[in-house]
Amino acid sequence: MNTPFRLDDHPRRPQPLAPPPDGYFDRLPTQIMARVQPGASQEPAAFGWLKALSLPLRTALGSVVVLGGFAATFLLNQPTNTPHLVHANLASVPRAEMVQYLLASDERVSLSDLSELPVADQDMVHEYLNVSPAEVQAALDEQPTEPSYL
Amino acid sequence: MEDQEILAKFADPASRNLAFNQLVRKYQQKVYWHVRKMVVDHDDADDLTQDTFVKVWNHLGNFRQDASLYTWIYRIATNECLSFLSSKRRKFFLPLNDVSEELAAKMEADPSLAGDEVELKLQKAILRLPDKQRLVFNLKYYEDMKYEDMAEVTGTSVGALKASYHHAVKKIEQYINEPS
Repeated sequence: MNTPFRLDDHPRRPQPLAPPPDGYFDRLPTQIMARVQPGASQEPAAFGWLKALSLPLRTALGSVVVLGGFAATFLLNQPTNTPHLVHANLASVPRAEMVQYLLASDERVSLSDLSELPVADQDMVHEYLNVSPAEVQAALDEQPTEPSYL
Repeated sequence: MEDQEILAKFADPASRNLAFNQLVRKYQQKVYWHVRKMVVDHDDADDLTQDTFVKVWNHLGNFRQDASLYTWIYRIATNECLSFLSSKRRKFFLPLNDVSEELAAKMEADPSLAGDEVELKLQKAILRLPDKQRLVFNLKYYEDMKYEDMAEVTGTSVGALKASYHHAVKKIEQYINEPS
């Protein structure tokens, strides 16, 4: 009759499994050091400072960059006011409204405007200035040669 | 190099690498064999040992010295093993016994157990234990770790550990004494 197995009576083998390959424990520290410092020298210096930031700061910075990108795209896609468009828009405004605006605002008519207006539009001189072309010419002749405003 | 000296040197960036290298050299065999007994396969043990030391590197700066460095490292290694075995079961939808069978098959192929039937049967009996009980058994039987240290490693009370080890021994003896 076999004696029942008792663990205390069994010779203990500290390492019951086959040992690792030869030199394994000589290589292991090097492998581990390579894993904890992967390519530290290969990291581009330009972005090295990013690693120094905490995770929330990096997240905030990323959000700012993304939102800034959206804002820049939005602004760059707005229709631009080219000189051609400015002239076209100005030409579409009725002349009478334009003169009303100038009279109502603090804009002033220069001597050159006054000299060109009777040639460009006789009706406007009669309607808004209420003077004849001869009177305009006389007023211009009385002015000194230096630029001045009425 | 003493643990306190390793920790002091690790805190200094100028000597951090040297200190960590010393730490790995001091504990690598203990960690490897602790892991190897849990996962049996050398390649798995190699991966988990490296993962353990990478985690040690990442968290050693926050290590509070209310536990010893030795039990803290063992705790990390233990968690790595338990996570590995658990994920293996989840990954392949394997029941508990299938992973034990897989480990037993690897054990049978181990050349150091060839020709030693009793030892092979003992190893198979150990593999039939639930992972956490197997862990307790290994720490006590093979490494003769104090129950107080085991409590730090496993986060279990000393009383529960003693009971777990006692039951593990009974289960193993019962399995080996069963007629095959």
